[in-house]
Amino acid sequence: MTLRITLSAALTAATLVTIPASAAPKTDLKVGMAAQDVGQLDPHRAVSTIDRTVVAWIYNGLVRFKPGTMDPKQIEPDLAEKWESSSDKLDWTFHLRHGVKFHGDFGELTADDVVFSLKRASDAKTSAFSADFAAFKTIEATDPYTVHIVLARQVPSLLGLVTNYSGGYIVSRKAVEKYGADFTRNPVGTGPFAFVSDTPNQSLELAAFGGYFRGKPKLEHVSYRYIPSDSSRDLAFQNGEIDLIYGKQDQAWINRIRALPNSVVDVFEPGELANLSLNITAKPLDDLRVRQAIAYAVNRPELVKWQGADTARSGQSVIPAGYLGSSNDVGLVATDVAKAKALLKDAGYPDGVTIKIIHTQLPQMLGSMQVVQAQLRKAGINLDIQVVDHATFHQQIRKDLSPIVYYAAARFPVADIYLTQFFHSASIVGKPTAVTNFSHCDVADKEIDAAKTETDTEKQVALWVEAQKKIVAAVCAVPLAEALQIWAHRTDLDYGYELKASLSLGPLLTEATHFK
Amino acid sequence: MIGFIIRRLLASIPTLLAVLTLVFLLVRVVPGDPAIAILGDRATPETLSALRAELGLDRWIGTQYFEFLGHALRGDLGTSMVTHRAVWTEIAEALPHTIVLTLAAMAIGCLVGIPAGVWAALHRNGTIDVLTRLLSLLGLSFPVFVSGIFLLIVFALQLHLFPVIGNPRPGDWIDGLHKLVLPAITLGIVMAAYVVRVTRSSMLQVLGEDYIRTARAKGVPRRSIIWRHGLSNALIPVVTVVGLYVGILIGNSVLTEIVFNRPGLGKVIVSALTQRDYTMLQGMMVIYCFLIVVVNLITDLSYGLIDPRVKQ
Repeated sequence: MTLRITLSAALTAATLVTIPASAAPKTDLKVGMAAQDVGQLDPHRAVSTIDRTVVAWIYNGLVRFKPGTMDPKQIEPDLAEKWESSSDKLDWTFHLRHGVKFHGDFGELTADDVVFSLKRASDAKTSAFSADFAAFKTIEATDPYTVHIVLARQVPSLLGLVTNYSGGYIVSRKAVEKYGADFTRNPVGTGPFAFVSDTPNQSLELAAFGGYFRGKPKLEHVSYRYIPSDSSRDLAFQNGEIDLIYGKQDQAWINRIRALPNSVVDVFEPGELANLSLNITAKPLDDLRVRQAIAYAVNRPELVKWQGADTARSGQSVIPAGYLGSSNDVGLVATDVAKAKALLKDAGYPDGVTIKIIHTQLPQMLGSMQVVQAQLRKAGINLDIQVVDHATFHQQIRKDLSPIVYYAAARFPVADIYLTQFFHSASIVGKPTAVTNFSHCDVADKEIDAAKTETDTEKQVALWVEAQKKIVAAVCAVPLAEALQIWAHRTDLDYGYELKASLSLGPLLTEATHFK
Repeated sequence: MIGFIIRRLLASIPTLLAVLTLVFLLVRVVPGDPAIAILGDRATPETLSALRAELGLDRWIGTQYFEFLGHALRGDLGTSMVTHRAVWTEIAEALPHTIVLTLAAMAIGCLVGIPAGVWAALHRNGTIDVLTRLLSLLGLSFPVFVSGIFLLIVFALQLHLFPVIGNPRPGDWIDGLHKLVLPAITLGIVMAAYVVRVTRSSMLQVLGEDYIRTARAKGVPRRSIIWRHGLSNALIPVVTVVGLYVGILIGNSVLTEIVFNRPGLGKVIVSALTQRDYTMLQGMMVIYCFLIVVVNLITDLSYGLIDPRVKQ
């Protein structure tokens, strides 16, 4: 037999093998994730995109964002059927849906599970999101289907805290007590898909939850595969071995995948805003003129062009666009290299200045930083970038070892959370209450605090805008660009809703998700 | 022979002890905090310290060291900080995949490399020799993540003979073999390239020895000279090299496993490293060192089988 005959025989055999699979309606979804492994399936500790994406398929919150959106105005009932609040918004009552079942043998969801979950989410020992719940005074069950929450002070969005997001996920009390520390690898929720098995470094298997309160999901099985090599993941998608793939915030990638037959690229919110946080207490950045020079040297349109029109948009404030309270009129300056040089000279650096910083090796973040480095160099500001791996980067920026920190993030779409975590003095790294205020910014504390308890929405927004203006004027941070979430799926996969946004950072799988 | 094995095993003990200490120190010298790696950027310092306490990282480093040493000497490598599974369980699941891949690559390397090396030696400076040397240089120059992707593009994407994702279905031997082919070839290319070079030079040296000339003069048939007198003597350095290169092979197997998304020690160790899973990293490094000690032992022992002089 010649080589050609052998190959064509093999090809025919391979084709024959694949035909029967496509004859029946497909109900198995294969997802390719850029990960070595999943980290935490305990929703109160799930922080990475890898973990968040899959946790959202397993758990519910009291309320949820309408699938495909992240608009706080479109929050709708999830585990709670209805809710009411006192006029001062301090007293909230949630009425649970009856007959909601947990996965496996963990029985019906009751108010007890909700109280347990929210208390767990607000406890620093068991939750990465405890700070969000600081205003919670009491959480109690008044009957098996009613949960009563009393707040110590007003919060900008209570519903936001009990959505299907971060600390809002409801877990089974019995399951947490049964599994203890192993709960993170034995997740039990009420969502459309239930955990089946987890093979470390390979895949996580989920099955449709027949008892799901919105009805049995159309997909029967979901395989969440960890494929860390970018090229292998792309090849597997191209070869039809996976149906849904984590993409890259990179125009070349988007163009290449769009050109493939049978594939659709999903571009959706939230945009992750990259800010350049400048430590206002560290030399030479303690001089406002040096910080202003950096602000004038940065060229946002160029950065957007570099990242790609489909995924990136220019930063318009120190908080992401579209958040309640964000504004595109906060006094950002346009690029002006001459002005930057003049400011630097005024500050006593006529020959330029060199700043040593630490940055991650993650290719996309490193690439963007190198573009910024080139832009600043034109104004005589030399960034001496020390590249370390991502885990080291996170550790060292929290030790104040880098006077300039490039940080990209998306948060709950209300100005308060972003402003508090990145720009309130309580969040300064190194303090016991530290979050991610790398710039040591404290100029807008008054406005941020006042907005938290302001009941008049208009005044609240005005305070948030004022805070942004102050932060921009003090140049605590220079906004760069926002990058949208990029995934791709095969054309026969239908999410069952229009994917415009997802706070879990990956497409939400619902009972309606199916293959056409 | 048994005395030799026991002596060799005893000599390995201080090596392993030193390795355990070094591993413990190295893992902790690497910056990066497992608690941050696990809890991410939004965790409060309070949450982080709670997790550190849970993981036992808040204790004095000496306590942690002696506990690790004590457990390791009893064969207990602890539980993974991330997955909460026993390190042994994870290793036991991954190890067979790596061993199968490495052995398959070694087999390919030897089956291709030894005959090709002999052939090249017999045609010294001829076209075949030049071509062999060129190909082996090419084999060494391409890192496995390039040759692996190349094989995937040709055999998976174009010809549809193999899948891109290479994790075999558990218990399915045929599927396992099918998915082993491309990774084994990828890794085998590197091995073959090494083996060809060593076999060729070793063979050339042996063929120049007096006893070969004597055998020729006595009229021993060419076939017998090459295979019985020549190759059997030329193989000793080849075995050494194969043994030594197992280390390199294991290193390359990490990359191969990532490219083909095969389960194995390589994937486990990379994931442990990115997640700063100290216990897992320690366990993996102990296992790697142990493997290398064992391979060296086997290499030493196999001299005895090939070379009668070592037996005595």
